[in-house]
Amino acid sequence: MPKKISVMDIYKLLPKTNCKKCGQPSCMAFAAKLLEKEATVDQCPILNTPKFEENRKKLIELLSPPVKEVWFGNDKRKAVMGGDEVMYRYQLSFFNPTPIGVDISDELSEEEIKSRAKEIENFTFERTGEKLKLDFIVIRNASGDIEKFKKAIEIVEKETDMPICIASLNPEIIKEALKIVKSKVMVYAATKDNLNDMIKVIKELKKEKDVVLVLSSNNVKELKNMAAKCLANGIEDLVLEPYTYPENIAETLDLNVMIRRSAIEKEDKYLGFPILNLPINAYYYALNNDCPISTFFDNKEVVAKMYEATIAGTLLNRYADALIIHGLDIWELMPILTLRQNIYTDPRKPQAVEPGLYPIGNPDENSPVILTTNFSLTFYTVTGDFEKDNVTCWLLVMDTGGKAVDVSVAGGQYNGENAKKLIEETGIADKVNHRIIILPALAASTRGDIEDKTGWTCVVGTRDSSQVGEFLRKNWDRILREWKEKHQK
Amino acid sequence: MIYNDKLGDFMDLNSLIKIIEKVGKIEIENIQITADELIINIPSAPPVVIPQTPLIKEKLAEEGIIEIKDVPELDWEPPIEKYTGYIREVQFGKPKSEGGRGKVVKIGGQKALYRFEEPQPNPPVVTFDIFDMPMPGLPKPIRQFFQDVMEDPCEWAKKCVKEFGADMITIHHISTDPKIKDKSPKEAAKLMEDLLQAVDVPFVIGGSGNPQKDPLVLEACAEVSEGDRCLLASANLELDYKKIVDAAMKYDHNVLAWSIMDPNMARDLNRKLIEAGLDPNRIVMDPTTCALGYGIEFSINAMVRLRLNGLKGDELVNMPMSSGTTNAIGAREAWMNNPEWGPREYRLPLWEITTGITMMMCGVDLFMMLNPISVKTLKEIGKALTTKPGEVKLNTNNYEWIVAKA
Repeated sequence: MPKKISVMDIYKLLPKTNCKKCGQPSCMAFAAKLLEKEATVDQCPILNTPKFEENRKKLIELLSPPVKEVWFGNDKRKAVMGGDEVMYRYQLSFFNPTPIGVDISDELSEEEIKSRAKEIENFTFERTGEKLKLDFIVIRNASGDIEKFKKAIEIVEKETDMPICIASLNPEIIKEALKIVKSKVMVYAATKDNLNDMIKVIKELKKEKDVVLVLSSNNVKELKNMAAKCLANGIEDLVLEPYTYPENIAETLDLNVMIRRSAIEKEDKYLGFPILNLPINAYYYALNNDCPISTFFDNKEVVAKMYEATIAGTLLNRYADALIIHGLDIWELMPILTLRQNIYTDPRKPQAVEPGLYPIGNPDENSPVILTTNFSLTFYTVTGDFEKDNVTCWLLVMDTGGKAVDVSVAGGQYNGENAKKLIEETGIADKVNHRIIILPALAASTRGDIEDKTGWTCVVGTRDSSQVGEFLRKNWDRILREWKEKHQK
Repeated sequence: MIYNDKLGDFMDLNSLIKIIEKVGKIEIENIQITADELIINIPSAPPVVIPQTPLIKEKLAEEGIIEIKDVPELDWEPPIEKYTGYIREVQFGKPKSEGGRGKVVKIGGQKALYRFEEPQPNPPVVTFDIFDMPMPGLPKPIRQFFQDVMEDPCEWAKKCVKEFGADMITIHHISTDPKIKDKSPKEAAKLMEDLLQAVDVPFVIGGSGNPQKDPLVLEACAEVSEGDRCLLASANLELDYKKIVDAAMKYDHNVLAWSIMDPNMARDLNRKLIEAGLDPNRIVMDPTTCALGYGIEFSINAMVRLRLNGLKGDELVNMPMSSGTTNAIGAREAWMNNPEWGPREYRLPLWEITTGITMMMCGVDLFMMLNPISVKTLKEIGKALTTKPGEVKLNTNNYEWIVAKA
């Protein structure tokens, strides 16, 4: 459950002047926003004065999430992990969409490193008006050679703005790498065996504040003790990595859940850190062993990427706050990035666009009228398709409470009453010389109701908005002509 | 004047400073200062070096000795919860000894939320979708597996069982839809009889989605499969659910209760079905599966809440859950031919796998699916959930990826 603090607990620490400088009408309203994580302490100018120093500290402590928010990166790009307060997204929302990192081996040639780094940085998959991207680069010391490692880090830092994770279990190698790295890096990893040396390296270089240290163990108690030791030595930005087992992912899921539940429900602050998982282990596992997908494809690399995506999806559902993967193909990344987008959507905000009339292209009085819903995904998909296919039309966006076509048809929001209201409010009747509405095929069953309530003629269109262009090219002139012949005599 | 008890004499400040210059450090104990007017002015004195710990540390650091603070060992207990409720177990099929066709499949029966608390007794089950008529509209990555059997539902069912390890089969009596072929309930029942002969796994019996016709089709099919403990799919408030409830009780079947992503609606539907005479141990809930990217987060919330409330003891929602995972292949990212997105024969199964896995993590017990690749993957991951911690030998070196050849 979320932390049991109330608006009053927060209000007590505020200046209570109701100065409105935070943008809220009162300190009480600001307190409510702080509780919901919709405002930050910094927005109150009075709290920033020396007189309120102590209250400010108390407030930050009070509001700090049970899972610490940890970041690495540079001024231009940061990878932010953790910050969560609840076990289940419906209880509040999950924060900081899981950063996804892709590995680069230091055994690659300079050119290969450069091009892979660029590819990672430039990767984009656009959905619902949002550009989904990859978040960091993991430079791994595959060579065991310090010079190659340093070279790879230099290239990546020079060629990209990506946050960097450096991977080696050898504290001496990490030490040399830390000397040259420019940004705040994530270090993978401290284990039971090298923990003391890793701490020593970080302290020697006075990088306690410039490093995120990954603690790796498949034993939760050990992770807890490792965290306690780091904290005692001033290393406070920690990430927990409880082993990713591709041959029985249930083991990793258990470890993730035990860590998260200890942090949130048992308030164990030593386990209150983000969790890193390694779907990349599934990639290499599937490359060399049988996995469920093996029998279906001859290409081992395809199998490995599919299995990696499967494991990534599984872990995203159970508290993975950061992931390291290997595959870069769009077909592998699409489901991972889409799932992340879905899980981290704020359930407190409706996913809706403003209902109303949207002219697409340059519609005139002879252009078709198409009726869709205000679910943002539907809207962006439809307008994206129309743009690609040069569709010209009047798009009526109905308020279905942010529900998709099929869901709102079943739920009763996609109906004649709502359509009538929309037609009246938008004045679409004055903009066209016909009374025809094209419905998505998924809403075919509402045709009678909409015709009855609005008096407009409904034509059932296509199942998918990508087919609308072709549908209109083939049918619109005829539909319009037939309607006019029938109604304008 | 300062009394120096080693010298047994009084010293002035100048001689004191001289000593400091020589030794770099003095300790002054029990000092008595007597003066009429005390002016201490040490402008000419060298800086008094008081050794400070950071300096020592710096010096040690140069020599490579860094102090690492140890902490006493901390204890940790696995966070195991006590649950007052449980999830009901629902059985499909009947053993031959009880007059059934042999194969028995059970779902549900969980007493805890997570494996480390208590592994679930039954693995998640996959039921293969088949149709009573050819479905040329299915995307190619799926059609390729079934092209040769689409004309014959019995062969289709056999292939799913023999080649792809189906635990169960879902027959969709699509052609009973008045707008498609308007086949009669009697014709559907005839096919049902043939199917029961063709394979020995339990069945999910689906209609066409026509609310007027479905109760009649389900009733007719329920009658011919009496005692086989099928799942009648589905009862909802849009149709004559009483008829379906009656058929289930009369002919010994289970009922799929379908609602729309709202735990309260699911609860309400269950209550109405029970009031209509349905045994609550014969209900499987389908709170609607929205595909990945098409509102799956709504399904996540509904299913998680239902499962949590069931385990908390709400006896109106502690039924096992079903997911129409096949919905995933309706997502354009799955089926659409688009070179920018890479080959769809990889994309489509991954979309279905990711949708199914997500539902599995929310507690779903029964998966209705189409693609053999996704089915196999989901079944194996599902099986893992029923293993005891440590049961499967783990050989993976967690750090091999660091040094792996690219």
